[in-house]
This record gives sequence, structure tokens and C-alpha cells, in this order.
Amino acid sequence: MPRWPGVVGTVACVAGLGVAGYLTYEHFTSSTTLACSDNGVVNCLKVTTSSYSAVAGVPVAVLGLVFFAVMLVLQLPPVWRRPEPAIRIGRLAWAVVGLGTVLYLLYAELFSIDAICLWCTAVHVLTLLLFGTTVYATSAYPVHGDPVPGEGDE
Amino acid sequence: MPSNRPGSSGETPKKKPSAATAKKKSSSQRFTERQEAKQRAAQEARRARTRTYGIVAIALVVLVVAVLVIVKVAGGGSGSGTVDQASPPAGTPIPAATLAKLQSVPVSTLAAAPTDGIVSTPQSVNGQALTADGKPELLYIGAEFCPHCAAQRWPLYIALSKFGTFSPEPGRIHSANLDGDVPTFTFYGTKYSSPYLTFTPVEVYTNKPQGNGYAPLQTPTQAQLTLWQDTNGGSFPFVDFGGKTVLPSAQYLFTPLQNLPFSAVAAQVGNNSTAIGAVIDASAAQLISTICGSMSHDQPAAVCSAAHSG
Repeated sequence: MPRWPGVVGTVACVAGLGVAGYLTYEHFTSSTTLACSDNGVVNCLKVTTSSYSAVAGVPVAVLGLVFFAVMLVLQLPPVWRRPEPAIRIGRLAWAVVGLGTVLYLLYAELFSIDAICLWCTAVHVLTLLLFGTTVYATSAYPVHGDPVPGEGDE
Repeated sequence: MPSNRPGSSGETPKKKPSAATAKKKSSSQRFTERQEAKQRAAQEARRARTRTYGIVAIALVVLVVAVLVIVKVAGGGSGSGTVDQASPPAGTPIPAATLAKLQSVPVSTLAAAPTDGIVSTPQSVNGQALTADGKPELLYIGAEFCPHCAAQRWPLYIALSKFGTFSPEPGRIHSANLDGDVPTFTFYGTKYSSPYLTFTPVEVYTNKPQGNGYAPLQTPTQAQLTLWQDTNGGSFPFVDFGGKTVLPSAQYLFTPLQNLPFSAVAAQVGNNSTAIGAVIDASAAQLISTICGSMSHDQPAAVCSAAHSG
């Protein structure tokens, strides 16, 4: 298993935690200091105070924090080296959960709220990046217990 | 390896195998190598297939995102297709019957409301006494675009109506976000009279988008600005009860009020069996109790005793 999936995943999760933490702070402080332009299409306040900003009363920003916190553990390089199928499948499933949420929120931003939040977009990009690296690395690199004969890198 | 053939008994073992043995060994090795090669090829093929699935999955996701963006940019499927319409800064007049209904909810009803939905309560502070016109001053700083302020104005209006009167009365507005429209009042342009306290509302912005924010409406004084910044960092809404108690943020979440007509919210005030009615009533009861304790010296007695008994 090469090192790059763990390194890329960890960096993306740390960045995601930062952005989601900022959005969470803004959510609970009335979003008055949200650093984002408002030129119509880009309007963070409109997005972060919309009805889509919470799911069953839980702010989406908090859900983002939980997502990146769990994913950070799963993306650490030592965890990537673990061969247990439960970890590999769990990481993949968690990435799919993130992808589904991003697609739902992206649809909501584009077609229901009619505004884009740049901070949210940063979270979406990081989540898509995590999905891409997780899917590729999981599918391209087999587990340790299933080496290809003759290969010395397993 | 030495040969085990019968004819070789007593002979010194030779390091070099006989031609037949070598031929047999060579055949066995070739078989093993062929098997390994087959296995390796099968695993390579499986790995390649899995990798292809992964790449296809990623490509599909990229495609879906691209399609969403393209459809949006092309102008198709535009959600509600509406625009964010700003209210007049002083609001639209509210029917007198609606205002009378809001003003007449018994304090005992407000005080009996369950407090489940309350997320922020007034907090005591050791601030300098806040007075205006010789009376304790209730300072409210909000903004018309702000949905949290929109939620907070409901209980604030109800509570203030127990201690004085508005003339002119507040108008009806909504917070600025189309998808988060919260029906509410605006305190801009109102005048409040009370024998117990002075009410100073400051609506800093309208709900009309302008540049990177919203069009400014009222400017806080330097003293108000300092107090506001020092107490809650300049967040909306901010309420100071005579310098003795502050409400640093909205008492309840605005989300249940979103997209409702003003009349639908007004109809639930005083009805503690609905979630919206209960949370507005409970919030108003807390404000009344705070005003009684921090500002009006428990006057009017009927109001304050009913509030405290809750």
C-alpha cells in the first residue's frame, strides 16, 4: 500500500475539520461574522441560514464536523495499512455517506436555495476528494492478505 | 538431490541430477511456474477490474456534479424561480386585531408554556447601569435581514406590550433569506412609551441586499457599539436589560417559523399546545420576568406576580 492515500486523506480531513468548525461556530453565533461575499449567486448567509442548514434539528455544519472527525481516524496512514476488511469497507461506506450528503446539499444550493456558499463548496470539494482517493486506493491496492504472486511490494 | 533409483545403490551421490530426473524436475517446475503465472494473471485481472470499477465510480460522480452545474448554468430547473424581495424598512402595517391579540395573551398563559424549545436565556451581568430619559433602558440591536432577530422580535414585542405601548406600532417584515424567510416585526420607525422603562431599538441593516451585505438602516452610537461588541462580539440579536441582564443570542431557533405567513405565527401565540406557540410564549414569559426583576421593580404588580408564579 503506497503512502499517498493516507497523506492526502489526512490533510483533506484536517482542512475539512477546520472549515466545518468555522461554519459550526458561525451557525451558533447567528452567522453575523461569516466571511463571504454576497453577490447574489454567492451568498453564504442565505445558505447557512436556510431550511437545509439543519437535518432533524442538527446543524449540517455539525454533521460535517462529525463526518471529518470520523474520516480523519479512518484516513490516517497507519489505518490505511491495516488489512481488516471491516476498516476498508467502513472507510469506503463512510466516504459514500459523505458523497451522498454533498450531492444532496449541492442540489439544494443550486435548485432550491438559489445561492452558493463558498465555505460549503470547500467542504464539498474536500469530501469529493476524499471519496475519490478512498475509492481509487481501495480498489487499486489489494489487501495484504491477498498478495499478487511474485510481487514484492505487498 | 541424490537419486533414489535402484541402480544407483552404493554409488557416490552425484550433485548433478541425471538427465531423466532433471527432465522430470524441469517439467514440475514449469508446471508450477505456469500455475503461478496463471494465478498472477488472474489476480492482476481481478485487480484491474476492481480498479476499473473504482475509476468508473469516480467518473460517474464527476459526471453527476458536472451535469448539476451545467443544468444550473444553462438556466434549467431553477428552483422556485423567485427573487429575494425586501420588505419596506418600516414594514407593512399589521391588522389591529392581530396586534390586539398578541398584546392580550394573559401572562399566566405565557408563564405556563413549556420551555423545551428555549436555547438561550437572559444572563446577569455586572455592567454599568443603562438608562435613558431617567428610566432603565432596554437596548435591542438587530437587523431586518437576520432570521434569528426575526424569531426574537415575537416574544420581545409580546413582553414589551405588558409594560407600555407602541405608537406607531411595528410593521410586518420578513428576514432576508428567501429560503429562510421568517415572518416578523421590525422595530424600525416605532415609538414605545412606558412608565417603567425606555425601549431603544436599533435595526442596523435592512433585509435589502447591497454590495457584500445588506443596506444599512440605523447606526448604533459608539457607546451602544462598544457594549454590543464587548458583550456578545457584535452578534445579532443583542438585548440589554438596563445593564443588569443581557440576552446574547436569540432565545429559540427560528427554523420552525420559516416560510410561514405572519398570520400563521400570530395565530399560534398564546396556544401552548403548538410548538411555535409554546416556544414564543415561554420566551416572552422569560423576558417579562427579566424586565420585572431587572428594570421595573416588579411593576406592574399584576404582570410581574403572574410572571413569577409561572
